Amino acid sequence: MKGLISLLLVLVCNISVAVEQAETIFKQHAPSLYQIRLIDKASGEKSSIGSGFQISSDGLIATNYHVISSYARHPEKYRIEFLDHQGKKAHLELKSIDVINDLALVKRDVEQEMPFFTIANSVPTKGEELYSLGNPHDLGMIVVPGTYNGLKKESFNDRIHFTGSVNSGMSGGPVVNKNSDVVGINVATSGNQIGFLVPHDKLLALVKVYNEQNNLTIDQQMEQQLNQYQKNLIGTLLKSNWPLRKLGEGMIPMIDVPFIRCWGESNADKSDALVMLAVANCSLEENTYISGNFFTGALEMEFRYMQAKKLSDVKFYQLFQRQIARVMPGNKAGKDDVTEFQCQHDIVMPENQLINNKAILCTRAYKDFNDLYDVLYLGISIDRDDQAFISHFTLAGVAQNSAQAFTSKFMESVSWK
Amino acid sequence: MEIIIEEISRGHKLLGRHKFAKQSINVGRGYHSDIILSDPHVCAEHLSIEFDGDNWLIADQDSINGCFLDDGNKPANGHIVRSGDVITLGKSQIRVVFPHHPVETSITLSPFENLINLTKHPVALFVNIALFAIITGWMFFLNNPKEVTFTQLFVPSIGLTLMFAIWPASVALISHLTKHDARIFTQLGLCFVFYNLTWFSDFIEALVKFNTSSQFPLTALLALLPISIAFCLFWLNCYVGFHMSGKRRTVVAVCLTTLLFGGSFLIEMSKKPDFSIRPHFNSTLLTPSFMFAKSSSVDEFIENSNELFSKAKKAAKEDE
Repeated sequence: MKGLISLLLVLVCNISVAVEQAETIFKQHAPSLYQIRLIDKASGEKSSIGSGFQISSDGLIATNYHVISSYARHPEKYRIEFLDHQGKKAHLELKSIDVINDLALVKRDVEQEMPFFTIANSVPTKGEELYSLGNPHDLGMIVVPGTYNGLKKESFNDRIHFTGSVNSGMSGGPVVNKNSDVVGINVATSGNQIGFLVPHDKLLALVKVYNEQNNLTIDQQMEQQLNQYQKNLIGTLLKSNWPLRKLGEGMIPMIDVPFIRCWGESNADKSDALVMLAVANCSLEENTYISGNFFTGALEMEFRYMQAKKLSDVKFYQLFQRQIARVMPGNKAGKDDVTEFQCQHDIVMPENQLINNKAILCTRAYKDFNDLYDVLYLGISIDRDDQAFISHFTLAGVAQNSAQAFTSKFMESVSWK
Repeated sequence: MEIIIEEISRGHKLLGRHKFAKQSINVGRGYHSDIILSDPHVCAEHLSIEFDGDNWLIADQDSINGCFLDDGNKPANGHIVRSGDVITLGKSQIRVVFPHHPVETSITLSPFENLINLTKHPVALFVNIALFAIITGWMFFLNNPKEVTFTQLFVPSIGLTLMFAIWPASVALISHLTKHDARIFTQLGLCFVFYNLTWFSDFIEALVKFNTSSQFPLTALLALLPISIAFCLFWLNCYVGFHMSGKRRTVVAVCLTTLLFGGSFLIEMSKKPDFSIRPHFNSTLLTPSFMFAKSSSVDEFIENSNELFSKAKKAAKEDE
């Protein structure tokens, strides 16, 4: 009992220490915290909000790219404004972005040197107490204590797993350690007490590039970053092992990297189904937000094995044809962002000669970014009367050579057992 | 001196033809007339046509509504008749022809006249209609992802067969109304032969699409198959149902074909969204036994995709 009481006491002390710490940090840094708002010029009202924090004495402010994405894509439609702790509003200028790590640098005019956040130079330790700052749902600046839980493993881009509530509107706000050094930037949430942060080194890198004064426009920066990203991603995938696994009578490649995860489903419980169906679905569970409906950087693979149970081969293939005619891309990008899909098809047999496929490849180009494409592939086996095997993938935002190399490797990997 | 008088309708269709070897012919509503017209706008004694030794002359018998040449307003009284003259009296018309009047050259019987007649043979007719109904039912069966009973197939297939019989029935009705032979069984037989040919052309189309790649240049030509079948059907519909010149028949068939395919094309175009995120590709699949083409290698497929990427790139450039 005594032990329990002392344990409770320790807990209470800890909490009160944390609260005190949070209060100090908040008071100390209030002048360097901002609400970032995008104002629609035509209506004069704010169209989106987020948080930001000053990182230099001359007015450089860091926030998330997705907070100011509408401005980055349509600078003629919006302007960026900040609201500081005293309720003052003023104009901000967009300086630089990192679309992959969801970071942006904006700048305010300053009359004299101002206080700012320092960026940490070391990574926190697992379990370390951190404080997330921001303005959730336009309710005013708050501070949320939480814990550092290391980097998210199933992610191609580094993201800190933060146990604490990160809510919308807090995006772009800093996360600091006890010494008030910035160790991350709020970026996303995955429900109760699970938040994701961009590690501080990404911000350091962006500031470094910004200070080197290269005069690329925002679109050019984006194009360069997307290009570099797809090169890294597809390069990593092609270098990885592609061990084969059985799905029904077919063999499917499982790319051996932690950030591609697979799920499965079948209709084995439905005894009256005309066709036995098993599906495996693998995808990269992250993508790069550009604006509106326009996401890129995604990868998705789907494999379907089908076996006719009480069905003639003619009907089996007829039903099969109806099914594949309904294929849609996951990326719902619109007319302003991409062209319509162009497709080619052929009968293709891989080198091992174990399967004969009808192969369909469709692609569409990005209108604002040179040599980036969305690619959709569909392989349909046509060599067995009562069994069919569909292999399918989509890649978003890849260069032609990456797309072709991936398609080639994928097509050579899928076969019958 | 002989003379021939034809009663014709306002559309110049022949209603009756009379030949006389007299010097004077009376036309009127009265029963004593040589040509008795029932038109109430015609007088009991309306006009007479008389031979004066050299010419035939028209004499109006002081009729109330008068008589005129052709459809016009030129009075016919005292007119010297030439072979082929049309005279309007009341709301009726007659045509006067002399025995030496030239006739059009005879039309040779078409070599496929026998073939056309074969389609109306009860056995051929039954087989064709039954074949159509069976194929329709089979298509319903193939496209239904669930298990289906015989009745579930029977009802739509018979329904569709009856619906497709509306066209030949309408053509026969129109030819009947325009004083031609209805020949409904010939029309029915013909149409169902061609409907079945359409199923066959669909199959050929699927077979070609299944066996060729997007590199195959002639895929667009496949569209000509159903168009030519439709043209032939319309042409034969006209041939069987109406007496018309070959040129006119071709024009009518072309118009109907254009209406059918142009119409469906326009409907398709009007439904097409300004921008579609859905990829359009050839999804034709048949069973493995219909695969005759040689497979390409993955490398060839990737090689061909260069063109695809440059097409997409070009589209992006054009829109800028």
